[in-house]
Amino acid sequence: MTEPTYLLEVKNLCRYFTSGRGKNKLTVKAVDNVSFGVRPAETFGLVGESGCGKTTLGRTVIRLYDPTSGQVFFNGREISGKMTADLRRYLTENIAMIFQDPIESLNPRMTVEEIIGEGLKVRGVKDKDEVRRRVVEMLEKVGLNEEHATRYPHEFSGGQRQRIGIARALIVQPKMIIADEPVSALDVSIQAQVINLLNDLKEEFGLTILFIAHNLSVVKYFSDRIGVMYYGRLVEVARGEDLYGKPLHPYTRALLSAIPEPNPFTARSKKRIDYDPERDHDYTIEKPEMVEIEPEHFVYCSPSEAARYREICRSAVKAGD
Amino acid sequence: MIVDRNRLPEEIRDLPESCFEIVGAEDIRDEAPKTEAIGFFKDAISRLRKNKLSVIAFWLISLVIVSAIIVPYLTGYSYTAQNVALRNLPPKIPGLEKLGIADGTRILTNRPKDSLREFPADSIVEIVREYRINNVEMVDVKVDYYAYAGVPEGEYHWMGTDYLGRDLCTRLFMGARVSLLIAFFAVVANIIIGVIYGACAGYYGGKVDMLLTHFAEILDGLPYLVVTILFMLLLGSGMLSIVLALTVTGWIGTARLVRAQFYRFKGREYVLAARTLGVKDRALIFRHILPNAIGPVITRAMISIPGAIFSESFLAYIGLGIKPPSPSIGILLSDGQRVLLQYPYQTVFPAVLISVLMVSFNLFANGLRDALDPTQRGEI
Amino acid sequence: MAAERGKNDVILQVRDLRISFRAYGGIVQAVRGVSFDLRRGETVAIVGESGSGKSVSVKAVMGILPPNAIIESGEILYGGMDLTKLTEEEFHKIRGKRIGLIFQDPLSALNPIMKVGHQIMEALILSQKMNKKEARKRALELMEAVGIPDVERRFNQYPFQFSGGMRQRIVIAIALAGDPEILICDEPTTALDVTVQARILELINKIKEDRHLSVIFITHDLGVVATMADRVNVMYAGKIVETGTSEEIFFSPVHPYTWALLSSMPDLETKERLLSIPGTPPNMISPPPGDAFSVRNRYAMRIDFEKEPPLFKITDTHYAATWLLHPKAPKVEMPEALTARIERMKRRAVAHD
Repeated sequence: MTEPTYLLEVKNLCRYFTSGRGKNKLTVKAVDNVSFGVRPAETFGLVGESGCGKTTLGRTVIRLYDPTSGQVFFNGREISGKMTADLRRYLTENIAMIFQDPIESLNPRMTVEEIIGEGLKVRGVKDKDEVRRRVVEMLEKVGLNEEHATRYPHEFSGGQRQRIGIARALIVQPKMIIADEPVSALDVSIQAQVINLLNDLKEEFGLTILFIAHNLSVVKYFSDRIGVMYYGRLVEVARGEDLYGKPLHPYTRALLSAIPEPNPFTARSKKRIDYDPERDHDYTIEKPEMVEIEPEHFVYCSPSEAARYREICRSAVKAGD
Repeated sequence: MIVDRNRLPEEIRDLPESCFEIVGAEDIRDEAPKTEAIGFFKDAISRLRKNKLSVIAFWLISLVIVSAIIVPYLTGYSYTAQNVALRNLPPKIPGLEKLGIADGTRILTNRPKDSLREFPADSIVEIVREYRINNVEMVDVKVDYYAYAGVPEGEYHWMGTDYLGRDLCTRLFMGARVSLLIAFFAVVANIIIGVIYGACAGYYGGKVDMLLTHFAEILDGLPYLVVTILFMLLLGSGMLSIVLALTVTGWIGTARLVRAQFYRFKGREYVLAARTLGVKDRALIFRHILPNAIGPVITRAMISIPGAIFSESFLAYIGLGIKPPSPSIGILLSDGQRVLLQYPYQTVFPAVLISVLMVSFNLFANGLRDALDPTQRGEI
Repeated sequence: MAAERGKNDVILQVRDLRISFRAYGGIVQAVRGVSFDLRRGETVAIVGESGSGKSVSVKAVMGILPPNAIIESGEILYGGMDLTKLTEEEFHKIRGKRIGLIFQDPLSALNPIMKVGHQIMEALILSQKMNKKEARKRALELMEAVGIPDVERRFNQYPFQFSGGMRQRIVIAIALAGDPEILICDEPTTALDVTVQARILELINKIKEDRHLSVIFITHDLGVVATMADRVNVMYAGKIVETGTSEEIFFSPVHPYTWALLSSMPDLETKERLLSIPGTPPNMISPPPGDAFSVRNRYAMRIDFEKEPPLFKITDTHYAATWLLHPKAPKVEMPEALTARIERMKRRAVAHD
């Protein structure tokens, strides 16, 4: 059997939340028919604003939520089916998660050593010295040191706590990491610390990363390919440079135009684009789906929109010549 | 201060060259923390110690508990020995009696002056009032009631006696013993049942939660008194049956609280993180959720102790309490209330004790709640 | 000439402000000698990370410091008064009337059980002594001015029926009700999505133009600074470490902290490694002697650990508090990554025009 191209493959994944009954039944389509793939050692960024479903998507992949429908494959094996003890073990051995809130993501009652070492204990590493040794090794990798192991989370700053969270995820040597907004709650200069750390660790361990964030600049900096989400749907997937140089979906364009540039000459005269789904699309006759406009560049659109986008890409290529 | 580089003030211009050597590190690592690592409970205890009211409350509670254990032995009286001749003696405390407080005296009203001749020798202290009614000379006379009743010299009853001549001090602290034991067992039983029930409902959620909660709600709807009376009729009176009666619906409040706490904490990111690491349910409940959720439960337990004492008192008051002659604070209150206007001391002592207990437990529970509050960690 | 003088008038002056807080562990020195000016018609940004003291400084201007705060010394001169010496009564005449404030969290700034229209009316009646009828008319006008659609219907709705961005617009409307001449914005868009943020920033700039307001804008986002500010103050550990025009700060920064801020957030074209600041901000209960930034500064000199640097003048508008500007200090260049980035920005600016 050949190696699958994708380490993680998501196919038509849906995650709905329902509440109420009968007439008052409310269904929130947090994740609606999302499909994409992440290659080994690739960093795939997932970006979108509040309510777009990116966090729900990450949590559904790692089975903190169960999918409503659709499939997720990891290394060829389906991980979205019925949860068995074997599947749970497979998941926890291969995929780890880093969380957003530095205060909430660490148990205030446990020491740093206990927090980081828990993953090892679950895997059956019983020898206390062995656990200690590996915990200290991990602490040093994330820029802390041995004295920090006996401390409690409240004694650390936000950036340090995130680093502890990273150590906790990495100590079990997962193949893939889902990073759910790992830097959003940190100060700007601390964000850089953590991003640099993640980059170094990515290199060292050859990690595959699903990077979820709302800051497009950070996502673009850190990721190889990016998926843009809008209210539960993936609207565009492309390599970073293509997304930035040739944004096709009107939401992507609106998003890019809204990012304030730290350049006083251009910031004020920047033209902002609005996205209005009613106005910018007409899906009464033609129905939209994910179409590959150019290699590795997908957009959620109708056939006539697709034709238009292809034209844009062609003229962009010509202009570049 | 603002300075112009071309026109520097002397003290700045003349700084030595050596000052301007670059010494900043290229690779600055995080410092090791300087202070002691403090576990959560140690931290809580140190904060509790700093709360003066809680410390006072703690000592008061301890005092009552210790008294309940040793005082009945110290008095030398039995709590059951009846001596009707010695009934309703007022309090008499050696030492204080010389100051006129608790000196075993009582004012007898409306006695014909002539009857004074028949009083035991040296029992009359003074005549308080003299007046005439229908040409008969009447007096209100203050007597040393102990002498009056023929109590042997040297026999003191610090809190007086009740209507059967039983020493109230012994009965009061025996009663405290009984009340505290009942309250303690009832609360412990409620906590255990409540935690298990609430944890299951809260952790598993969904249908399990719905079933458990509905059942609890139905049980809660039953009238408390009716249920308790039924239980007492079924089981007879006695400490065990009272504890059971208090437990029948007492666990529901705790279960609700624990369930709510579990809902609050099971979605916390550190719980999710543990789940993604493969930590099993049992460890999640006992290592991650429970230690963080338990604070309010402990506080609630503390506060419900005086509540249980009060419930037991109430049951005793309406005649459903412990079988006599066993005392409890409630029985003493009930007995004393019957003669409240004639012999107020018989109500005052148990009332003061139960008030002290309730206020102390409340203060301590409040202090405990603040001390266990995780948001205040590391503040001091 | 009269028009020019009016344009460059300084209307607010903060002079050597020092503020501390009484906390459990001791006295926290939150603001340690901050001075800045606000001129008529300009937007001054105060940039810094959490704990830098930026919020505390402007809270002092509005007189809304918490009870455990002490203004140790300094002055805030406005309209011939020293705001540090005003009583609560006297502040009523200024707050909401001459100086308006927009907070970060619109949800907590609005009364959840009062209709939004009435909240605007309340602000109008309090500040301008209008009667109900006038206030209602004016409130509707304000709601339109801040871009709320369908005002008649929305007037009677409650805050929970609005999205985050819309709520912020209502907060802005309330701030404008008193017809202030100064608007203080304390991280008004930090909690909002980026597309919503862009619209709110546009709105603030527009009303600033329309009403000839002067704005103090607090943020930690340099992109927002570039969009909004004429002049910028960079704060660290309770002091202003660099101040200048927007262009001076972005294109010729001199303080190592400013360098780090500018290089630590990637823009859409960054490819090189980010410059991070190692370590964590200092404990303000016992600030280190000398320059508070020295422990995290790879260019720190011996004197940085001993004496606090004064503000060295670079141009009439550009000042920085770093010993690197002393004539005897070694010449330290901006990190390469930053120089490259500035070049890139300048090239884009040219291409843009």
